[in-house]
This record gives sequence, structure tokens and C-alpha cells, in this order.
Amino acid sequence: MSAPSLEFRDATVGYGSRTVVRAVDLEVRSGEFVGLVGPNGAGKSTLLRAVTGGADVLGGDIVCGSSVLRLPERERAQLIGVVPQSQPSVFAFTARAFVEMGRHPHLGRLASLGPDDHAVVDEVMERTDTARLAAERIDELSGGDLQRLTLAQALAQQPRVLLLDEPTSHLDLNHALQVLDLVRSLADAGMAVLGVFHDLGIAARYADRVSIVADGRLTPSAPPAEALTSRVISDVFGVRAVVRTDPVTGSVAVTPVLRGDDLASAGSRGTVGLVCGSGTGIALMRVLMRAGYDVAAGALNRGDVDQAVAEALGARHVALPPFGEIDVEAEEAVRRAYADARCVVVCPTPFGRSNLPNLRAAIGSGRPLVLVGDMTAERDFSGGEATRLWDEAFALGATHVLSESDVPATVVAYDGEEA
Amino acid sequence: MTPSADRRRAALTLAGLAAALVLAMLAGVALGAVPLSAEEVVGAVSRALTGHGSTLADAVVIDLRLPRVLLAALVGASLALAGVLYQALFKNPLADPYVLGVSSGAGLGATLAITVFGTSYAARAVGVPIGAFAGAVGTMLLVVRLASRRGRLDPTSLLLAGIAISYTLSALTSFVLVFDRQSMTSVVFWMMGGLANRSWGHVVLLTAMLAAGSVVPALYSRELDLMLLGDERAGQLGVPVERFKILALGAASLVVAGAVSVSGLIGFVGLMMPHMVRLVVGPRHRLLLPASVLAGAIALVLADLLARTVLAPVEIPVGIVTALAGGPFFIWLLVRKERVR
Repeated sequence: MSAPSLEFRDATVGYGSRTVVRAVDLEVRSGEFVGLVGPNGAGKSTLLRAVTGGADVLGGDIVCGSSVLRLPERERAQLIGVVPQSQPSVFAFTARAFVEMGRHPHLGRLASLGPDDHAVVDEVMERTDTARLAAERIDELSGGDLQRLTLAQALAQQPRVLLLDEPTSHLDLNHALQVLDLVRSLADAGMAVLGVFHDLGIAARYADRVSIVADGRLTPSAPPAEALTSRVISDVFGVRAVVRTDPVTGSVAVTPVLRGDDLASAGSRGTVGLVCGSGTGIALMRVLMRAGYDVAAGALNRGDVDQAVAEALGARHVALPPFGEIDVEAEEAVRRAYADARCVVVCPTPFGRSNLPNLRAAIGSGRPLVLVGDMTAERDFSGGEATRLWDEAFALGATHVLSESDVPATVVAYDGEEA
Repeated sequence: MTPSADRRRAALTLAGLAAALVLAMLAGVALGAVPLSAEEVVGAVSRALTGHGSTLADAVVIDLRLPRVLLAALVGASLALAGVLYQALFKNPLADPYVLGVSSGAGLGATLAITVFGTSYAARAVGVPIGAFAGAVGTMLLVVRLASRRGRLDPTSLLLAGIAISYTLSALTSFVLVFDRQSMTSVVFWMMGGLANRSWGHVVLLTAMLAAGSVVPALYSRELDLMLLGDERAGQLGVPVERFKILALGAASLVVAGAVSVSGLIGFVGLMMPHMVRLVVGPRHRLLLPASVLAGAIALVLADLLARTVLAPVEIPVGIVTALAGGPFFIWLLVRKERVR
């Protein structure tokens, strides 16, 4: 028998007559780890529970070798292991006895655990770092310990398919990584793994493919970098996030910036121009847009973190290729954007030849200027040109503030100004 | 603990309980209105087995005390077995046949059988157990139905529904008796939970019902362990939950019906014994089941001994003794649970 995969075929799942997720098509092949993500209550857990009868399959089918709906419980438990969201136990089984229960589907009616069964239990307790808990009572253990014991119990079934429902929700960082590394290695060894995750970063880092459950539907699964874009995250979770490749892990990392609701009034108080770059504009973009302003962030290079945030928040800016220059055309576009603003704030970003046009456009816009910090030699990489423009701005009557935290109060003063 | 040490401890526990049961039964037979020595008791039993002679003391032992003591042991064992099953299936350490109303249901069924079929020996031997079984099953279904909300069984509702149904059915039983004054006295005394004037016929009947009811729990002790993890989890680990529940509840109803048929309503044994045994041997049914059964037998033999000796020659129905001990125990459990939360 070839290693079976788990396959949802046009499956509609729910409870009784209530549909939760409809028309699901998803295949998890042997050796694959698929992550399910989505907002609370979207039906991720319902999808998992339907595989083992905890929720109803109202249409279509779920297949693991044969239809799971017609599989006797015992055979199903030999094929499919589940790690549900753990619940505290009131009964005082020892941790070892608890894990041994996972051998149930492999034992004959009156048989007790043989040497092979004990070897399996030893191994899974070792791999889940629970061997030292063996004699403890499960009603006295922490949620994290119980969660790892539940994984050990599921692994003691020696399943071909593993279903995980938030398997790291109670775990500390160390144990979470340990459990996920273990699950990853099980998948690499041929297990088919389907896991529900709240943490998008974890799903992206460990899963081969990710599928999103939202609005009663499941999106076709795709590699994390394709499935988790800032647009999808904004649509599904209502959160504006920067999605980039984490330089350390090499996997997709999702950094939430603001909730969509926080931006509901953005623009109602007009626009504020920002001369920024290298992360100097992030805090102000968040504060100003939450306070009801739109932001014009000038010309920014892709790869610059300010550009990523401006894109995530929908702030107006001219996006340049990495290391691209601001040409005359781009500078004119920036100047016109700044000219629509009530004022333009110059953030304490360093200036070189490449981003100097932003500062020139700010001065050229004719709008009131707010200069943050001082222009020092450490900031001026333009051979003195930036310092000259800075002095010119002062000469034109720019306001000077010491730090970014002073900016909002200063900006309010220009609320009455018509652009 | 290593598996072999585990097994040795289990064997020791069961051997100790079995020895205690033998001693309790010996005391039960020896003590009474006419005190007998251990030799007299053993002699009477061996003479009866070999078919030799019969003194007056032998008649007391063989015809009166021995069936009574055996019956007490069987009833205690049956109630404890049912208690273990209910507590596992409902994941509720406070469940027992009395609290769930199943005993009252069996009592009503048995009473109806008596009023319909009369008090002839054949009617009592066949009609009463069948009526009691039907009453027990019907009550169980009703209580579970009442306590379920959208397929979920709420533990508190289960106890409340059980107690409410229990009172209703007891009232119905009394109501039925108003129309059947002939059986009233005997039925009322039987309902209070008594073991007086029982014969070997009762012993045979209950032995058969307990044996039949023990098959499922003996074969499925692992499933009972898994049921404690919750229905859904038990299913994920390979238990055909719905079918297993029917089997196990059927077995529990059978032994409750047997116990009620011969001795009426005896409360709290099914609650107390499994609970106390679990504190000592842990929750695994492979040991919990036989240990609880033995403990239940010991408890009821001793309770019956108390019932007929404390105020001798006046005899108290044994159900009153168990209720006097069990009521406060139940309250203690409730209070303790409250404090843990």
C-alpha cells in the first residue's frame, strides 16, 4: 500500500444543518506539511474535526485511502492521528498511561501493551521531551506539558496522517520550536501533516503550502510566499502588514503594522508630507494615519523598510527600484504630492545624493516645513548639499522640533491651512 | 513505575480486597440474633456442601444468613460496577445509579411488574427483573435527553435531571401503590432497600444478571479509560463511541435492574465506592473495575451487618444505613469540588 494522502474532495463541513466551510478541495500528500490559517471562527478547526467525525461532512467526501466517513474508528485511528486543542483533565492518569492510550488502535481486545508498544511509547515521549514527566499526574500538569503529551499520544498511534490544531498555543518558545521541528521532520520522513495555526509566521516557516480559511471558503493552497501577501492579510484579517523574507530564517515573515480599522478615518484631516527613509518614517506614518491624516512619503526605494510600510498602509509614495535614482520626473511627482499636503515633515533620515531630491521637492512644494532633529555631519552624505538645503528651509521659516514625538502636536497647528 | 511493579501492586490490591470480603462475609454470617463461631459457620457450609446432617445452627446459616450475606455482596458489587460505568461514560465523578434516577426508574418498573403480574414466585423471578430493566433503560434515556443541549451533555444538568426524575418516579411508584394496597406493605419495605427474607432464588437471579452485566466492562476496560478523555478524543483514538455507550449503558442498566429487583433502592454505594477506590488505585479501569466491585461488596455486607445488629432485634433497612453514610459523603464531594475550582 502506498502511503495514503489526505484529500478533501469538494467537501462541505459543518454541524447538523449549519454549513461552516463549503466546497473544500485540498490534498495533503505523504511527506507534505500543509498549514491552515484564517481568522477566529472561520472554520479551521471544523475542517480538521470533520476528518475524525467531530464535525459533519455535509457534502463531498474526505478520503484517506478510502472515504474516512466509512472507515471504522479503529482503522481510522491507525491511519490518522489528531492533536486537538488540549483540555485540562480531571482524571488522574499518569502521563505515561495517557500516552499509552495512543496504542489502543493497535492492541487486541484483551491484549495489554507488549515490548514493542512500550518501545513506541518510550520513543515518542523522548521525542516530545515528555519522558521525564512519565510518573506525573496529568491533572496536575501545565497546559504546555499536556499539549506535548497529547502530541506524544497521537504519535503513539504511529499514524500516516497527522492533524494538528494549534499545537503550539500553550508552548514556550523553546518547546514550540522543538515541537514544530519534530513535526517537520515527521513530514520529511513521509507523514502527511495538516496543521491549523494562528501564527502566520510559524505557518510560513514550517509548512510547504498554506491555505486560508475565510468567509466559509478555503483558498487553493500555495507556497507561503505566494499565499501570504500583504493584500491577502489585509483582506482576510483586516490587518495592514509588512510581508517580507526574514533574513534569518529565509521564510516569509509577517509584521502587522496597523489594523484596518485604525485606518478608517485616514485622510479625513488632509495630507501630511513626509521626507523619510531607512525606517525614520515608520512611527510617524502609523501615528499620523491613525490620527486621520493621509501621508505622502516621497520617493522610496523598494527594499527600504519605509517603502514597505508605506505600501502596507497605502501611503502615497513613488516606489523606485532598489538603489534606483530619483530622476527629474519622479522629483516632480514628489513635489506635486507634497504641494497637496498641509505641511511637510522632514524626518531624521540621512541624506545622500540619491534621496536629496525628496528634500529639494519638499522645499519646492512651498508648504510649511517641520524639521526634526539637526542636520549633522553624520547625516549628510551628500557633500554638503543637504546641509545647504536644510539652511535654506530654515531661512524660509521652517519649524524646528527636537524629536518625532513632537511632530503630531506641531502638525495639528497646520490643520486649518488649506493646501 | 515499571509495568511489572504496577502489575504486582494491582494483584496485591485485589488479593487484599478479596481477603477482606471473605472476612466481612464470615462476620456477616456469624453475627446476628444468635451469634455463631467461625467454626460453626465453616462447619455448616461444609456439611451443606457434602449433604451431611443439619443442626438448628446449620439451618440459620444456610437458609437465612448465607443467602442474605451473599446477596448483600452481590448487590454492593452490582451498584459499584454501575457507578464506575456511569462515572466513566459521563466523565462525571458524581454519577451513580441512585443520583441519576436509574434506581428509581428500575423501582417503578419493578413495582408495575408486581402490580400487573402479582406476587407469585414465577412472576417475581421473571417479571420484576424485566420490569426493572425496562425502567432503568427508559430512565437513563430520559435523563440523558433532558441534560443534553445540542448534543452536549452538561454534567450539572445531568445530576439535576437525575435527581428531579428520581423524585418524580418515586412519587409515581407511591401513586401506583395507592391503587394496589395488597402489595403496598411489602413493596414499600422493599423500596426502602432491604435484604431481609431473601432466598437462594434471589442469589441465583442476581448472580446471573451481574455476570451478564460484567461481560462488557471486563472486555472493554481500555475503552472506558479512553472515554474519560471525552467522546471526541475517544473516537479519534479508535473507540466507536456511540456503539460503545449503548453497550456499556446497557450493561449498567442490567446490573442496576438486578440490584433493585432483589433489594430495592440502596443509594450511594455506587457513588462512594468507585470514588474512594479511584483515590487509591488511580483511574485505570483494568484495576479500578474489579477493585470497586470488591469494595462495593464489602461495603454492603458491612452496612447490612450494621443494619440488623445495631438496634437488634429491630432491623433497619440497609438503604437507610447507606444513605446516612452517603448523603454527607456526597455533600463533602460537592464542597470539595467547589473549593478546587
